[in-house]
Amino acid sequence: MLSVKGLTANVGDKEILKGLDLEIAPGEVHAIMGPNGAGKSTLSHVLSGREGYEVTGGSATFEGRDLLELEPEERAQLGLFLAFQYPVELPGVNNTYFLKAALNSIRKARGEEELDAVSFLRLIKEKLKILHLDDSLLKRAVNAGFSGGEKKRNEIFQMALLEPKLAILDETDSGLDIDALRVVANGVNALRSPERSMIVVTHYQRLLDYIQPDYVHVLAKGRIIRSGGKELALELEEKGYGWIDAEGQAA
Amino acid sequence: MSDAAFTAFAGWLSESGEGSRPDWLESQRLLARERLADLGVPDRKTEAWRYTSLKGLMEQGFGRTGETMAALQPDDLEEVLVPGLDAQRILLVNGRYLPELSGQGDLPAGVRIGGLRELLASEPDRLREHLNAVAETDAQPLFAALNTAGLDDGLVLWVGRGVVLERPIELVHLSVGLDEPRVAQPRHLVVLEDGAQATLIERYVSLGDSIYCTNTVLELSLGRDALLRHDRIQMESANAFHISGLYLTQGADSRYLGVNIGLGASWSRTDLNCRFQGEHAECDLQGLYVAGDGQLMDYHLDVQHTQPNCNSREIFKGILHGHGRAVFDGRVFVAREAQKTDAAMSNRNLLLSESAEVDTKPQLEINADDVKCSHGTTVGQIEPEMLFYLRSRGIGASLARRMLCLGFAEEIIQRLSAEALRDHVSERVGRRLESAPMN
Repeated sequence: MLSVKGLTANVGDKEILKGLDLEIAPGEVHAIMGPNGAGKSTLSHVLSGREGYEVTGGSATFEGRDLLELEPEERAQLGLFLAFQYPVELPGVNNTYFLKAALNSIRKARGEEELDAVSFLRLIKEKLKILHLDDSLLKRAVNAGFSGGEKKRNEIFQMALLEPKLAILDETDSGLDIDALRVVANGVNALRSPERSMIVVTHYQRLLDYIQPDYVHVLAKGRIIRSGGKELALELEEKGYGWIDAEGQAA
Repeated sequence: MSDAAFTAFAGWLSESGEGSRPDWLESQRLLARERLADLGVPDRKTEAWRYTSLKGLMEQGFGRTGETMAALQPDDLEEVLVPGLDAQRILLVNGRYLPELSGQGDLPAGVRIGGLRELLASEPDRLREHLNAVAETDAQPLFAALNTAGLDDGLVLWVGRGVVLERPIELVHLSVGLDEPRVAQPRHLVVLEDGAQATLIERYVSLGDSIYCTNTVLELSLGRDALLRHDRIQMESANAFHISGLYLTQGADSRYLGVNIGLGASWSRTDLNCRFQGEHAECDLQGLYVAGDGQLMDYHLDVQHTQPNCNSREIFKGILHGHGRAVFDGRVFVAREAQKTDAAMSNRNLLLSESAEVDTKPQLEINADDVKCSHGTTVGQIEPEMLFYLRSRGIGASLARRMLCLGFAEEIIQRLSAEALRDHVSERVGRRLESAPMN
């Protein structure tokens, strides 16, 4: 589904990704862990098409398409979804209007019929129920004045509605207390399916207690230096990132 | 600019002698004419006209609009009405009150609504105290004096002591294109006596896209503890000139909540003047202007804190696209005796193109030492972060930009008094942004 090969990317003059490889098949959940500055967020941003990054080499294909030549909206329309580490506040943009515009833009791009107001609201209600959310957030402006937990829940809610094939969760656990984390993780788990893949980017092992990954990768200094099963996350938790740094230097 | 140019421009004034008026009004009109001669035409060296040229307006050969548009049918109004708006409508066409197409409703005792000309004939004494008193004749600037010099018709809304008018009053000023460009000078008077409450929706619209000029003056007097919600929506024709002067005085404990929306006209100038006459009054002035190719919108605010313990808020937002231009000149004056004044002014602008322009000049002049005053101004583009967020959800770049612009405008639109009006304005702003090229 996603194939990243030898990806290198710069921010300004600084090389952040230094030859990254990653293969993800449908239905798989991959955790990417690593210390601060390893390039975790850069990877999420480069895959989703954010400005400010220069890809200098390598490739990223999504279901056979060259991801890197597509506009951000085209990637989303293909089924890529980024849950932001810091969801952006959009004052004055009503959440329901935003969700409808997003869903219908994606449907339109796929040649599907746009949903009318009634069918849309029915769908929204259904998704809210799955995630055990109340509908008060629909009436508000997108993320405006939301608490940290509300913002992250809104991200997962968007994911539930847009039904991506590949979701990248960028440090979704950051800034959440344990209760909020559990709510968000339950939401993510409810969306797991044999067709849907996920990349869970995190600094801490904590989130992986709730979202069990199939694979764990360690990202350090712009490269994946170790891959393994979920036991790797526990090892990291125990030893910290110090040994990685040493290993990264050696590599 | 030469005074000869102004004499040529205002040539139509001499035609406006028809009708009988009370003597006191005739002398006010005469006084205003004399004042016009004394004032002369301001040029760009005059501070109040520093960014806005009068040349285009003065070069138009205008005639004066006087005749009523009796041929107008209710169907003609369809396209300018706000769907679903529940209000008692007062219709003025080319400056003249048209009772036939105005709404009739049962009014509480102590309320007068109607045409100025009509009420001048039936109850002149009632009007005498306030007409040209809120905007004092000997202090009126050029266009207000011009309006007074030709003072003839407009809206009168009078709400007696303690009366709460539940249903909004909607003043629709409709311009219908004539063979030659005309000037309409509606003059409105709104008086809320002590404890009275009302909502006034004031709209300027047109049929067709002809050239004309509206030069309107609105005098507003709020008594003690009165409350007025006031929505003003300027959707003149794309080729129109629009000049609007609002003069407001507020008694103690009164509240004024004003929202100004500017979408139309090729050249427009709005002056909002507020003065407190008692303590603990509150004045809230908000505005949204959207200017594109061939449009200039100039807003001047002058808020006079001459009494202690009053609050004022001035929040104006602008969206400029294409070659659109705007001017915001906001002045808050705090007199030495106006202690405990709380005033906050802000002007935020979104520039959607390289060739759009805004000149913004918020000013505080504070002479008291125990006050809370602030002002802020921003001129910026759409935030790339916000744009990326929307695009990452599958929304195309142009729709995403439009959504963000409309979001920026919503803060002001949501202040309008009625949902039907909010929907109407949102829809119009959205339509404008749809046709606006964005880069």
